[in-house]
Amino acid sequence: MDQKYILDSGKYLAGLYDRITYLGDIKGSLAWGRLDQLLEKVQETRNNIFEFTEKELLSRIRDLEDRIRFFEERVAKTLRPIEIVNIARSVQRFTLQDILENVYDSFTELGGEGDCNIDPAVLVARATLTRRVKNRLYYHQVMVIGHEKGRGEEYRNGGSAKPWGNEKALRYMKVAETEGIPIHSYIFTPGAYPTEDYPGAAQQIARNLFQMSRIRVPVVSFISEGGSGGAEAIGLSDMRLMGSRGYYSVISPEGAAAIEGRIKEGEKVPQELVEHCAAQLRITARDNLILKTIDRIIEEPPLGARRDDFSFFRKLRYEMIRATDEVVLKTKSLRAFRAYALKRQARESRDSSCEDFDIHIKWSLSDTEKARLLECRSEKYRKIGKGFRQLRTSLGRKMEKARDSLKQSYYDIRYGLLRHHSRSVQKILEEVSSEGFIFLKTVTEPMRAAYDFVFPKPESPSATEVFDPFRRSIFVQDWEHYISPLANEDRTVTCPNAEKYGCRDLWVPDLYGEFCGVCPSCGHHFPLEYQWYLENLFDKDSVKEFNSHIASANPLKFEGFDKKLKKAKKRTGRRSAIITFDAAVHEIKLVVAMLYSDFRSGTVGCAEGEKFIRACDRARTTRRPFLAYIHTTGGIRIHEGTLGVIQMPRCTVAVREYIDSGGLYMVVYDNNSYAGPVASFLGCSPYQVGIRSSRIGFAGPRVIRETTGADVPPDYHSAKNALKRGHIQGIWDRRDFRKNLFEAMMTMGSPHLYYK
Amino acid sequence: MDINLNDLLRQYKSHPYEDHHIDTPHTGVVSFRVKEGQEVKGPSGQWLHRPGTLLYILEREKNPKKITSSFTGKVASLRTELEGTFVQAGERLLTIQHKLNRDEIIDRILRKVLHIFRAPQRARYFFTPETVTFLEKETEKGLSVSTGDEIIIMSLMKRDTFLPYDGPPGIIYKVYFQQGDLVEQDAPLFGVCLPEKLPFVQKVIQRIRTEWDD
Amino acid sequence: MENKRILIANRGEIAIRIMNACDELGLDYVVVYTAEDSASLHVRKALEAKGPEAAYRICNYKDPNEIFSVADHSGADAIHPGYGFFSENFRFARRAALRNRPIVFIGPRWEVIRDLGSKINTKRIAKQLGIPVIPGSDEPLYSEIEAEVLAEKLFYRQKKQGIEKPSILVKASAGGGGMGIEEVNHLDTFRQIYRRIQNYAKRQFGDEGVLIEQCMRDYHHLEVQLLCSQHGEIVHFSTRNCTIQSTGRQKRVEAAPGFDPRSIGYPFDAAKVLEQMINYSIQLAEKVKYDNVGTWEWIVTRDGKPYLLEVNTRIQVENEISARISRIAGYDGPVNLIREQIRAALGEKLGFSQNDVTFSGTSIELRIVAEDVKRGFAPWCGKITTFSFPEKPWVRVYSHVPQDRPYEIPTEYDPNLALAIIWGMNTEQARERARDFLSQTVIRGEDSRGGPIVTNLSYLKKRLDDVLKF
Repeated sequence: MDQKYILDSGKYLAGLYDRITYLGDIKGSLAWGRLDQLLEKVQETRNNIFEFTEKELLSRIRDLEDRIRFFEERVAKTLRPIEIVNIARSVQRFTLQDILENVYDSFTELGGEGDCNIDPAVLVARATLTRRVKNRLYYHQVMVIGHEKGRGEEYRNGGSAKPWGNEKALRYMKVAETEGIPIHSYIFTPGAYPTEDYPGAAQQIARNLFQMSRIRVPVVSFISEGGSGGAEAIGLSDMRLMGSRGYYSVISPEGAAAIEGRIKEGEKVPQELVEHCAAQLRITARDNLILKTIDRIIEEPPLGARRDDFSFFRKLRYEMIRATDEVVLKTKSLRAFRAYALKRQARESRDSSCEDFDIHIKWSLSDTEKARLLECRSEKYRKIGKGFRQLRTSLGRKMEKARDSLKQSYYDIRYGLLRHHSRSVQKILEEVSSEGFIFLKTVTEPMRAAYDFVFPKPESPSATEVFDPFRRSIFVQDWEHYISPLANEDRTVTCPNAEKYGCRDLWVPDLYGEFCGVCPSCGHHFPLEYQWYLENLFDKDSVKEFNSHIASANPLKFEGFDKKLKKAKKRTGRRSAIITFDAAVHEIKLVVAMLYSDFRSGTVGCAEGEKFIRACDRARTTRRPFLAYIHTTGGIRIHEGTLGVIQMPRCTVAVREYIDSGGLYMVVYDNNSYAGPVASFLGCSPYQVGIRSSRIGFAGPRVIRETTGADVPPDYHSAKNALKRGHIQGIWDRRDFRKNLFEAMMTMGSPHLYYK
Repeated sequence: MDINLNDLLRQYKSHPYEDHHIDTPHTGVVSFRVKEGQEVKGPSGQWLHRPGTLLYILEREKNPKKITSSFTGKVASLRTELEGTFVQAGERLLTIQHKLNRDEIIDRILRKVLHIFRAPQRARYFFTPETVTFLEKETEKGLSVSTGDEIIIMSLMKRDTFLPYDGPPGIIYKVYFQQGDLVEQDAPLFGVCLPEKLPFVQKVIQRIRTEWDD
Repeated sequence: MENKRILIANRGEIAIRIMNACDELGLDYVVVYTAEDSASLHVRKALEAKGPEAAYRICNYKDPNEIFSVADHSGADAIHPGYGFFSENFRFARRAALRNRPIVFIGPRWEVIRDLGSKINTKRIAKQLGIPVIPGSDEPLYSEIEAEVLAEKLFYRQKKQGIEKPSILVKASAGGGGMGIEEVNHLDTFRQIYRRIQNYAKRQFGDEGVLIEQCMRDYHHLEVQLLCSQHGEIVHFSTRNCTIQSTGRQKRVEAAPGFDPRSIGYPFDAAKVLEQMINYSIQLAEKVKYDNVGTWEWIVTRDGKPYLLEVNTRIQVENEISARISRIAGYDGPVNLIREQIRAALGEKLGFSQNDVTFSGTSIELRIVAEDVKRGFAPWCGKITTFSFPEKPWVRVYSHVPQDRPYEIPTEYDPNLALAIIWGMNTEQARERARDFLSQTVIRGEDSRGGPIVTNLSYLKKRLDDVLKF
C-alpha cells in the first residue's frame, strides 16, 4: 500500500479521533451514545493501520466517519445551553492565538511572551489587519487585547486573568489611546482570578471599566467565553460581537447551581441542576442578542469553530473590520453610517462569503469625532440593561422628566452663571472692606446685606459666630432618638474578639442603643440594620427618597425567582435592593444610593443599576456630592443574568460622567461587599472607605477555595487588609461616620460642587 | 551537660500524657456536650480558625456561650453532677488527658535545657513595644539578649516596671506567655539559649524528631 | 423592707460595712469575691454569718454580667455597689432598672448618675442656678478663636482679683484622671498649648474638644454630705475636709466638719462659707431631684470663695466621719449613712428632718495603706504577718485584713489595709487620739524578697498637724 496514503489515512483518523473526543467534550462524557466504543474503534484502526488493505481501510474510515457525522448532526440538532458552555470550554476550540495568527496579518506580542509573562492568561499584541478594496490592500493597525486560554497550557490558567494581567491590558489600552488606534478585545475567560493581592481583582476590573468608559478610540469586542466580571474587565466597548457558540453569563452554571440548590461546600452539584441553570441564565449568543447585551452574532459552524476553521477566521476578520468601520462612521455622521450599513446589507444578501470592501475607511478620529464616540458609547450603555418595572403612569413619568430638565436649568443658572458673578462681587467687597477706612463699613454694609440676601449663607448654629463648619462640634448628637429594634431584648452577647482582647459580654440594650453596635472594649462593629444609618447619618427629616417606583423584575423569567422577589418585596416593603435619596449632612445636601442586605442580599440587577444611574445623574445636575453607602452587596443578581452583568459597565459610565463633571463620589462599605459592584461602579471611586469590621473583596472564601484550591485566612477580606492592600483609603468608625462624611465633603471634591 | 536525655525520653515514652483542667471562666448554668471517655479535638485549620470540639455551654444572662476544647485528647473526668446547675467562676468541670506530640515533647525537654527567665512576681507581663515588633518580624531568627537588657514590662497594681534580663546572654528561643497575661510567680516567661548550648539544643531536637513518632 | 436580700458588689472594708448596715436593718445579704480575694475577711464573715450560700466566686468585680447573674441566682432584690466599681456607673444602674427582672440599685436614679457623672454637665446646671463654679468653659471648645477670647478673659479676671501668678488649665474634654491637662502661665503661650492639647485629644479620644478653666492654687478640698429620699426629703450631714492627699490625689487624712472656726483661725468667715456650700448643694440636689446619698465636692480658696467641683453620686469611703459627728434626734444608736442609704434606695422615707440632726465634736479618718510615701506613694505588696491596733471607744477600724492569720495582699487591687475613724470632743482631742492610735498600731510583714513591710503610718502621723488648718 502506498505509504503516503497510509500517512494521509493516519492523519485523517487522528482527525476523526479528535472529532469524537470533541463530541465527548460537548456531551460532557464519552459515555453518551457509546462514543467510547467508537473511539476505541478509531484507535484500533489507527493501531493496525498496516494490517488493512487500501479498500478495507477506506471503507472502515468511511464507515467511522458516517457514524461520527451521524452523531455530530444529532448533537447539533439538539444542542442545549450546557453543551454550548462545553463547546466554549473545549480545548479544541479556537483561542486568541489562533485569531492572531489567522485573522490578523502580522502581530507583535506586547508585555510578555508565552509563560514568560506577568500574566500569561492575558495577551496583548500590536496587530495589522488588511483590508482589500478592489484589489488594493490597505493596512490597519490595531491593539489586540484578550484572554488566552492556552491550548491545554497549564500556565495560561484557563484564561483567568490575574489583577496584574488586567492592569497590563489597561496599560496597553492607554497606549492605543495615545496612538489613536482602535482596540479589538477578545474575551475567552471563565472569570477573573479571585485574588485580593494588589492591585486586587475587583479594584483592577473597576479601574479598567472606569478608564474604558471614556477611552478615546473605538473598541470592538468579541466574546467566546464571557465569564461575568472577568469578561467586563476588557469588555466595555462600542460594539460587542459574539460567536454563535460562545456563552456570556453572570456566573458559571455550576456556580449558579450551587447557590440555587444551596449545595454545601465540597458536596457534588447535581448535573440536572447545572443544566437547568445553564438554560435559565440565558447565556447563549441568541439569548444575549435578544437581551441586547451584545450587538451582533458571528455565525460559527453548528458545533462551533475549532482551531483549524479557516473559513470562520475569514468571517471573523471581515466582521471585525466591519464593526470597527461602523463605530468609526457613527462618529462622523449618521447618514454616512446608514449608507454604509445599507450597502453592506445589500452586498451581504448577494454574496454571503464576501470578504472585500468597496471603500477604505480610516480608523483615526478627530477631536470632535472622539467626543462623539464617547457620547455614542454613553448612550449605548445607558440604553441597554433595562429589565425593570416602573410602577407609574406615563404621564407621571413625563412630568418628572419635565421637572428634571427644569431642575437642570435651575442648577445651571444658580451655580453656574450666578456663581461666577457672585465670586467677582465677593472679591470687590473683600478688597473694599480690607483696605478702606472703618467708616467705609457704613457704605459697604447695606451692599453686603443685599448681597447676602441674594446669596444666602447657611445659617450658623450660634447666630453671633461666622459660619465655620470645621469648628462646629459634631458631638452634640442625640443618638438616642432612634433605637434599633435589636436593642429591645434583655440578654447579653459575646464579642467575637472576646478571647483576643478580653471583651466582656455586652448587654444588648446597651450595645445596640448607646454603643451604636460597637464593642466599647475592642471596637468591633456588630451589624446594624440599614434604617439606623438613615436615621443617624443625616440631618433630621432630610432624607427624601426618589425613584422608589422602579421595581426589580424577573427579566429572564428565571424559574422560581418571581416568588423569591415577591417575598423580598413583602419582607422589606421596598421594591429593589437599592434606596436612592436626597439627604443633608450639616445642611450640605447630597445624593445617596444605598444598597442594603435585606433585599436579596443587596444584589444588583436592572432596577438597582437604573436607580443608581439616575441618582448619579441627579447628583451631577444638582452639583451635589454623591455617596454610595453599601450596607451589604452580594454582587450581581444572578437571576438577571447578563442583564445584571451589564449594570457594571452601565453604572461605571454614569459614575465616570459624574466624576468628570466635577462631582465628589464617595463609597462607604459596610458589613459585606463583594463581586460585581465592587469590581465596577464602587471600586472605581477615588474615595472608598470601609466601616470597621466590614469585609470587602471580589470573591468570598468559598469561591476562592473552589476556584484556586487554596484556603485563605479568616481575615482575608477584612477592611484592615483591604486598607493594607490599597483597595480602600480609610476605615471609619460607625460613630464617626456622620462627622467624617461631613469633613470629607468639606475638604474633598472640586469647586464645581454647589456649596464650594 | 547534666541532663540525661535517655532517661527523660524513656519517661515521656512510658507516660506521654498531660492533664488539662477545664474550669468555668465565669458564673452560669452548665450543660455538657461531651461524655466521659470521649475523644475531643483542639482548634484546627491553617490559622486555627476552626474551633475545637464543643465541650459545654455556659449560659449567663441569657447568653449561651459555647466553650470549645483548646486541646486534643480524651475527656478523663467529668463532673456530671453539675449538669444543669448554676456554677461559680473557676469551677472545675472536666479534665482532658492530652497525649503529647513530638513538638510538645521537644518543648518540655527544652524547658529543662534553656535558661528560663521567670516571673519575679504574680503580675501581668508585656514585652516592650520594640521587642514585640522585632519578634513579629523576625520569627525565625530569634532575638538575642544580653544581661541588663530591659525587654520585659511587669505591670503590677496599675504600675509598670521595666525588668532587666538577668541571665547569661543568648537568643530568645521560646516565649511562654502572651502579651498582658497574668503570670504566676516563678512561671516561665521566656527561654534563652546560650550560644555554646545551641548545638546541643539542636541535637536534642534532632534526636527527638528521629526517635519519636506521633 | 423586710425579707429583702442585698447583693454586695464590692470587696474589702466597704463590703464589711455594708454587711453591718444590713445586719442593723435585719436584711439578708450575699457577697461576691474573686479567686484572688478568697482569703478576704468579707468572704469569711459572710460565710460565717449567712452560711455556704452567701458568697459567690465570680471572675471579676468589674463584670456587670457576673453581678446580675449572681443576683438572679441568689434571688437578690437589690445591689449595693459600694464605692468604686459600679457605684457611679449609670449603665449598670440603668440595666438594673430596665432588665426583665428589675433589681434595686442602691444609689441615685440612673438618670441622675448620668447627668451628674459629667463634670461639664454638672457645671452647666450649677451655672444655671447661680452656684459658683471654677471660671472657664462649660462646654467643649472647638474653635481656637473662641478659646483664646475665653483665655484672655480668665487672665484678666485673675489680674483684677490681684492674683500674683495667674494661670489657666487646658484640658482635653474627653479625658480624665489627669491625662491631657496642661497649665498656661501666660497668654502668649496659650495658642501653642491649646493646639497641642487639641491634637492630643483628637489622637487619644477621637474628639478634639478642649476645656479651659482658671487654675486654682492654695485651696482646701471640702465636701458636703447629703442624704435624700425618693420622697423629696433632703438632709445634710455637715461637711468634710479632705485636703490632705497623696501626690496621686488620693485622700489620706479626712476630717469632719470641714472647718473648725471655734478653735482654728481662718482668713475668712469659715462658718459662713460652710453654710453657703451646704445651701448651694441642697439647691442643686432639689433641682435634679436627687434621691440617695451624695457628696458635693467643693474647693475653697484663701479668699473664702467656694467653687463647686463635682458631685459624687455614691457613698464615700470617708462617709463615716460625717456620721460620727452627727446625732439624729429620737434615734439612739450611732448614725450610719450606709444604713440610711439602703433605706432610701428601698423607697423608705427618712423619717427625720434637718432639725432632728445635730452635730458635735470632730472626727478624723486615717487611711492606712501599704505604700512607700518617699517613693511617690508606690504600692507595696507582700504578706502581712502581724496586724494589731488599740481598741478604744473613740476609734472604729475597718479592715478586710485578718488579724488572726497572715494575709497576702492581692496584687490586682490597691493595697489599702485599714480605715481608722477617730472622734474627739474637739479638733485638738481628735488629733491627740489619732496620734495615740497610730503609735499603738503594729503592722508587720515581708515581701517576696524578704524585705520588711512599708506603710504610711509615720506619714499619717506627721500630717495630723495640718488637719483643718488653712
